[in-house]
Amino acid sequence: MKNINQLVFLRFLFIIFSQILIFNNILIYGISPNIYLIFLIVFPLTYNKSLFYIYIFIAGLILDFFSNTYGIITFSLLLSAWFRPYFLKFSFGHFDASKVRKTADYIKETSLYQKLTFLILMYFSHQFLLFSVEVFSFEKLDWIIKKTLISTIISIILCYIFILIFYTKNAR
Amino acid sequence: MRRIIDFLIKNIHSLTFTFLLSFSLIQIIDKNFYHNSKFNFYSNIVINTINDFKQNFSEYFELKIINENLIIENTLLKNNSINTAENDSIISDENYTYIPAKIISNSIKFSKNFITINKGINQKINVEDGVISKIGVIGIINNNSDKFSTVISILNTDLKINAKVKNTNHFGSLSWDANNFQIMNLDDVPKSALIKNGDTIQTGGMSSIFPENIPIGTIIEYSLPDASNYYKIKVKLFEDIGSVNNVYVVKNNFKQEIKDLEKSNEKY
Repeated sequence: MKNINQLVFLRFLFIIFSQILIFNNILIYGISPNIYLIFLIVFPLTYNKSLFYIYIFIAGLILDFFSNTYGIITFSLLLSAWFRPYFLKFSFGHFDASKVRKTADYIKETSLYQKLTFLILMYFSHQFLLFSVEVFSFEKLDWIIKKTLISTIISIILCYIFILIFYTKNAR
Repeated sequence: MRRIIDFLIKNIHSLTFTFLLSFSLIQIIDKNFYHNSKFNFYSNIVINTINDFKQNFSEYFELKIINENLIIENTLLKNNSINTAENDSIISDENYTYIPAKIISNSIKFSKNFITINKGINQKINVEDGVISKIGVIGIINNNSDKFSTVISILNTDLKINAKVKNTNHFGSLSWDANNFQIMNLDDVPKSALIKNGDTIQTGGMSSIFPENIPIGTIIEYSLPDASNYYKIKVKLFEDIGSVNNVYVVKNNFKQEIKDLEKSNEKY
């Protein structure tokens, strides 16, 4: 897989369709685990930013169509994409994104705590956004936080397993 | 021009992001019924308060015209009261309550036009009450908040009103084709009706929304399409919906009773 475009596209198809076909049908404590965020988490850092946003937008759009939540997933995914650089900086220290060529670099060379911090930040913020936009009122804040916590925990466990299984040492 | 292009190239990433984000936000509000109504609820409060404020100002400058209109209405009412005293008619207007209201925003330029009036739940106005002016039908209330109500204008392609020809009492349904804001179409009048240009069109009594015999307009053109049993009639409205200001909300006091009765029929 030398071509980065090809890699991103295959990842896109694989992750989005496994979410739609498999994980949308699984319910754990009333919540289906969220796998599609992996696509955002491991998206190549050196990729063109505009194309990155467009990829995320299309991914969100497709997910929205299949779960009948028009625009909600797209909206929160785009905001998470915007947050990602700040979370990366926060959890992995001040590293220069332009020097890190491969996603595998920061998967291999960082400690478990750093990785977990990053995953928790990403997942928590994304799920919180998702549920608050869906409910669209602050009266149900306790419900939002409860749902967010449960889905964050479940999704992080699955996401970590997913990454461990599929990531080879040369992953980008 | 060069600067604009430079700016675009420089900020292309954030511009793409903002564009996509606003697109998804529009989708959320547009496609999800719950979000849409919630959004409308808050935006209506803001917009209506501003409109009400604006109306208070513009009303002051229109006082002269309003005065003249009131004088005309007064004379009309006086004439009417003389007539009704002479006519010992059985049909009275006790069935209906009239609540005066003011239009605070209005449009005639879309195909689905809505009007906002300054009376709401506090004045016991309900959804599906009719709205009339002294010389015509304005619309039907479709939504209300505490102080305001929105009205589906008769200049809305979704609305159909039961109407009849004054002389012959033949019924038809009045609708708008979104072309001219003074002309509406009257369909379903059977060809046995003897109609001519200039005949008056009134509301029919077939619905529980409007009282009978409110004038609507006059026939300006009619034709009988080949192999059809019904006329195609064009009606010119008496009321200029674009400039109307004072209206009355019509409440049918027995609407619930009529509905209940009709519902009980459905069981059989």
